[in-house]
Amino acid sequence: METELRIEARNLLEKGTVKSIIGFTKGSLKFTTTPLFIRNPDDVHKLVVNRFIKNNLAKYLAEVKECVGIVVKGCDSRSVVSLIQDKQINRDNVVILGIACPGMIDVFKVEQLAGCDRDLIDDISVSDNVAIIDFGGRRKEVELSQVLYDSCLDCKCPVPTEYDLLVSGLSHIGRNEDVGKAKIQELKRMLPEQRWTFWKEQFRHCIRCYACRQICPVCYCERCFIESSEPRWLSPMAQWQHNLGFQIIRTIHVAGRCTDCGECERACPQNIPLRSMVGEMSDLVFKMFNYQAGSDKNAPSFMAAYEVTEAEEIFR
Amino acid sequence: MIIADLKQKQRFINKGNVYLPHIVIVDKIIEETPAIRTIRFHFKEEQLNREFKFRAGQFAELSVFGVGEATFCICSSPTRNEFWECCINRVGLVTDRLHKVGVGAELGFRGPYGNDFPVEAMEGKNIIFIGGGIGLAPLRSLIWNVMDNRNKFGNIAILYGARSSSDLCFKYDINLWTQDKSIKTILTVDKADKDWTGKVGMVPVVLKELAPSADNAIAVVCGPPVMIRNTFPVLEEIGFKPEDIFTTLEKKMKCGIGKCGRCNIGNIYVCRDGPVFTYAQIKKFISDEY
Amino acid sequence: MAFKKTAKNNITKLMTAWSHDFKIMVPTRKNSVIEFGDWDGKDVDFWVWYRNTVVPPKVFLLPVWEEMIRFSKNNHGWGLEVPGSEQKVLIFGVRPCDARGMAIINDVFKDGYPDYYYDIKRRRTVTVGLNCVQPYDSCFCTSMGIDPAMSKDVDVMLIDAGDDFIMEALTDAGAKLLHGEFIRSASAQEVQMARSMASSVTGKIHRKLNTHGLSEKLLDRFSDTELWEEIAAKCLSCGICTFLCPTCFCFEIYDESFKKQGSRYRGWDSCSFKLYTQMPMENPREEKWKRIRQRVCHKFEFHPINTGNFACTGCGRCIRLCPVNWDITQVIAQITGTMDSSLTEPSKNKV
Repeated sequence: METELRIEARNLLEKGTVKSIIGFTKGSLKFTTTPLFIRNPDDVHKLVVNRFIKNNLAKYLAEVKECVGIVVKGCDSRSVVSLIQDKQINRDNVVILGIACPGMIDVFKVEQLAGCDRDLIDDISVSDNVAIIDFGGRRKEVELSQVLYDSCLDCKCPVPTEYDLLVSGLSHIGRNEDVGKAKIQELKRMLPEQRWTFWKEQFRHCIRCYACRQICPVCYCERCFIESSEPRWLSPMAQWQHNLGFQIIRTIHVAGRCTDCGECERACPQNIPLRSMVGEMSDLVFKMFNYQAGSDKNAPSFMAAYEVTEAEEIFR
Repeated sequence: MIIADLKQKQRFINKGNVYLPHIVIVDKIIEETPAIRTIRFHFKEEQLNREFKFRAGQFAELSVFGVGEATFCICSSPTRNEFWECCINRVGLVTDRLHKVGVGAELGFRGPYGNDFPVEAMEGKNIIFIGGGIGLAPLRSLIWNVMDNRNKFGNIAILYGARSSSDLCFKYDINLWTQDKSIKTILTVDKADKDWTGKVGMVPVVLKELAPSADNAIAVVCGPPVMIRNTFPVLEEIGFKPEDIFTTLEKKMKCGIGKCGRCNIGNIYVCRDGPVFTYAQIKKFISDEY
Repeated sequence: MAFKKTAKNNITKLMTAWSHDFKIMVPTRKNSVIEFGDWDGKDVDFWVWYRNTVVPPKVFLLPVWEEMIRFSKNNHGWGLEVPGSEQKVLIFGVRPCDARGMAIINDVFKDGYPDYYYDIKRRRTVTVGLNCVQPYDSCFCTSMGIDPAMSKDVDVMLIDAGDDFIMEALTDAGAKLLHGEFIRSASAQEVQMARSMASSVTGKIHRKLNTHGLSEKLLDRFSDTELWEEIAAKCLSCGICTFLCPTCFCFEIYDESFKKQGSRYRGWDSCSFKLYTQMPMENPREEKWKRIRQRVCHKFEFHPINTGNFACTGCGRCIRLCPVNWDITQVIAQITGTMDSSLTEPSKNKV
């Protein structure tokens, strides 16, 4: 997979079709990758494709003015399409290098299984449907689905629908919607008061770092609503009420554009289960309007269109 | 990291808490232009009215309780202690509320902060004041300070410009200065209306034209950043030494006392090491962010 | 001061004794996030699993948000009130990097005007430090002149000595803690052995940041736009690195009110945010690369010019918790031209 991608990337840069390529390279911590911006064709050997390329690089498209190539997985490609639908980027300005995503490994889940932190784990590898964890001279083999991100277990489309090149080689095995949706289902089983208490306690920990907003590709507003001083909708104070309010409104703002990539939850330093909010919102949008974010670049933006046949319950 | 004369300034800290504002009461409101007004106030606490002192160039944090705080230079003169004045440009939330308060309203006041113009060192010299728009506000404090001790200083000239004649601030002061034969007052606007009799052109351009003598002279410049940046080279051209050119810099501030971190230009904090700087100091800034 | 010791078995009893005067904060795990939380009175053994918290202990001196002034309007005008003083707090388990971070913040808040709220919190806070035994692969405190096995920036320093903790009081407040039936004297030999054992931790820190001539090199490359744009490219401009940094102290002041009552608050702010320096007519740091430049240069050039210390303690939280793995050690290596010196052993990253 990597070779195919690197060859294409080199081609694109040498021909001048794109000015730069946004992809992934080896990170500075174990089992991490980091975004990489390449302008020089000789740098393409730095690009990697593996089960740790978790970031959604579509975020960076909002900033670039020139023609770029971008490496995307299934969920990321739909974010790119969402941006095209919102007219934030031009389809002609982006060369989509799609990866048929095999599912990303959640190092946190591996840490739980190994009982130790990431830097003390020696190796994580995958063979067929089995994840092999080596740590401190011991080896643990588990079903792959036990170590994939919840958002990957629940993945709606691992293969990008919009692409200029598709790199494939590994199929997405290990999907398990029940496990992927487990946290959300648990919340749904709670009574409203219990759920409220749950979220209140979660948001006491929020420090308003805005990583969730900054990492989200569809949060591209020049001035976020939270930054408005006239009128002041919510306070910058990191009290649970304002934290929860911020997240609720953000969830509603991304409705129909959020592809449930799970980056917000991964970015949160306080482990607040944000995907339970945006993921559920994504599902609701599908159930109520039969609309999946980012699947058709020619479709009008979700919130910007209205059809007479739409679910009328919400308008009563 | 030394704040000049800290003991002097610590006297005006309310109950030992530098963030606790004093309450001031609005005495008078002068609408300078559609978006600029001057607020004249005195302290609610009588003792402060008697004792409060500041120096020209210093600033204060005015607050509207429940809305917020913002930074303003004290534009009244230190030589006149019956009242204090701040000039407010309506550009945001706090300044908008400040434009809605009336006489008798209570505001919060924290200050005076920052360093000041070295008035004593300017004695015996010629001074040219160069102001643009609302930049006249900090200059005004120094101008009246100097005028109230007129015989200690040499030739005084004031060059003041604004976008149009309705944007000129402190028109009543300008009248007094224009009538005063011991100083030279030159006004200019970028765009003249039919009644305008003064000069036309941007301040740096007019300055170049006038080419005042740099002999035994000091220049004090204040205005929008772009005006200041364009005035410096002109002053150097006509012979002013960078140590003799003064200005006040403006940066977003919150605490006003060098702790919240945001007003820095390189390693200096505008609230603590400024806002008054010489051009020589500015040239040595290790950051390009002023 | 003489060295003392206490058996690890006695720590809970010791903390019970301390809890008469102090609210005790210990490392806890909530939501799988390690943070200083209220001690629940039960037996503790956190030194077995505790490495370091996500939010540094600076949060006890400079909280995420705090109320400064309460105001209310009545017939006589506005009345201002400062909320009352706070309970004494003992933070148990402060790592040397975080302790140095608190000392750096102390320099800023103690200089010039007294900061009323910081002073109250500083006075009422006592820190009990604990040597590091298992640094993260993101740690680089040794490069910043910090000894992970020892700190002089706490009130009491504990060194793990197997079954006991060796305790050294470094301040009067610390000395007051080391009394009672659970505290015994430690012999010079015991201290020596414990220190010797503890010092092996420096061999576990592989990440390096080259500070040699760093301030000058940053000054040199300050206007190199291309360099800073490249460095800033993947940064998201969120606030994680600044909020979780033990030495970062930037704050904002804002008012909240409803009708005739309200409060003025102080809360964390970040130089990474675009609005940080937003003025009505212009923003000197509109572009992301300028903000990154400010952050790096403040830590390694501006702050050292003012105080002689780098504003970085090598705790590695910024590297560990950055959502895109932006790495300050790699950035500094790039700026100083020592590119390969910061990386740890290569990760295998097999698919």
